[in-house]
Amino acid sequence: MSVVYSRRLKKELQEIQIEQADPAKRAAGIQLLQADDLKTWYFSIEVLGDSLYKNETFHLMVRFDPEYPFKSPAVQFVVSDKVKPPIHPHVYTNGHICASILGDDWSPTLSVMAICITIQSMLASCKKKELPEGNDDYVRTAPDNPKKTRFVYHDDTV
Amino acid sequence: MEPKMPGFGDFSPVSYQLPDPLDLRVQVTEETDLRSLTPAQLYELNQNYLDDTVPSSQPPISELAPLSTLRTEYEGSSGSFIKQIDFLIQQGYEGIRRSRGDGDCFYRSLIFAYIERIFSQEDRKVAVDSSVSTLQDFLPRLREVGFKDMVVDESYEIPRDLIRGIIDPEPVSMSTNGTTLTPAHLLREFQDESTSKYLVTFMRMITSTQIQGEPETYEPFLTHPDTGETMGVKDFCRIVVEVLGKEADHVQLTALSQALKVNLKIAYLDGRSQDGRVEFVSFNYASDGKETPLTLIYRPGHYDILDRRSSEPLPINPSP
Repeated sequence: MSVVYSRRLKKELQEIQIEQADPAKRAAGIQLLQADDLKTWYFSIEVLGDSLYKNETFHLMVRFDPEYPFKSPAVQFVVSDKVKPPIHPHVYTNGHICASILGDDWSPTLSVMAICITIQSMLASCKKKELPEGNDDYVRTAPDNPKKTRFVYHDDTV
Repeated sequence: MEPKMPGFGDFSPVSYQLPDPLDLRVQVTEETDLRSLTPAQLYELNQNYLDDTVPSSQPPISELAPLSTLRTEYEGSSGSFIKQIDFLIQQGYEGIRRSRGDGDCFYRSLIFAYIERIFSQEDRKVAVDSSVSTLQDFLPRLREVGFKDMVVDESYEIPRDLIRGIIDPEPVSMSTNGTTLTPAHLLREFQDESTSKYLVTFMRMITSTQIQGEPETYEPFLTHPDTGETMGVKDFCRIVVEVLGKEADHVQLTALSQALKVNLKIAYLDGRSQDGRVEFVSFNYASDGKETPLTLIYRPGHYDILDRRSSEPLPINPSP
């Protein structure tokens, strides 16, 4: 039957579009900005309620491996003239994110929306706005694709 | 047709065009000083080396082969493994069906054996119906523990269609061209990477759900495979059971055979037995206690399927 990998992404996209159109189902603070193809999607993320990131909006870029959902997507914050990544102990200034769900702990039972929600809650629970240790070194030598970085996961709850 | 999104204002990602990841391949010669490379380049280099040296040519599930082929692998090394293999052959286990050693081998072996045994049942219709209903009965529980409908449905369709295909050519959108599924077709389906991964994913979801359904039974035995630290049920399931490539241990074996309601027997080759005897460990969860067990063979870190036949049976004709 040789299942086409993209069937999952098509379903996820459909589901996200349905959810976005319905305020009752929509994950608050997460919005799909662009999904022109099944390769790269963009989301905007805000942390609602009290948090260190009140009134800030971030853009998340999600790039899919052809083997998604069996391989995790490459996820990073967009860095551009218009948007900046959050200052957070797990987010480098080049937008790369150190979170185990994006690497070792990825499971095909998860979804793009699950990633967005995890990242949103990672921001919501942040106690102190600071850059990751060794940010400058990392940013100078980092591969373009964060999936090529071997992150050492510290504490995902920070 | 790929779905198109309606426009989303002026958000433009052009400032973030990225080069092809292949461009990042590190070029090294014998003169290259490895210390001059960045950590990312070193990782890349190591990964390339691994990709080149670990044979990826092994299919997810292989054809049945004589167990003596395994014996030849140990010649010149461990006498104890050879004795244990000879013991199994004497016990009438003449064949081995290899499952690729990628951490998913237990789950893949078990679902293959689970489906394949239906071919040898006297009443295939009964066997098909009961296997499908065992899986189907599990679906509400999968949703209860929080798997999304989309994920449940896409993973369930595959084993369901394969099993039904054994007696019914209709629901099969597979490579059978309107005939019922033969053992040869089944093998081919399992050799398809995506099909195999969906099957493994479904087995992992069932295992996770079974463990979460009986936390008090399983919790005392849950430890992190790398650190040995104790783990809670939710974490264990999320990080150890539901992630592809994470090996299965006693807990997962128990949970999955319980969930599938099968008798499972594992021949443990530890390479340490003095007299060559092999210890079998049984997990008996079939409603009929006398049901023939599915049999796997374990060598440290790896599971394959153990069979009394030493080669593929001829394709079995569809039952009348």
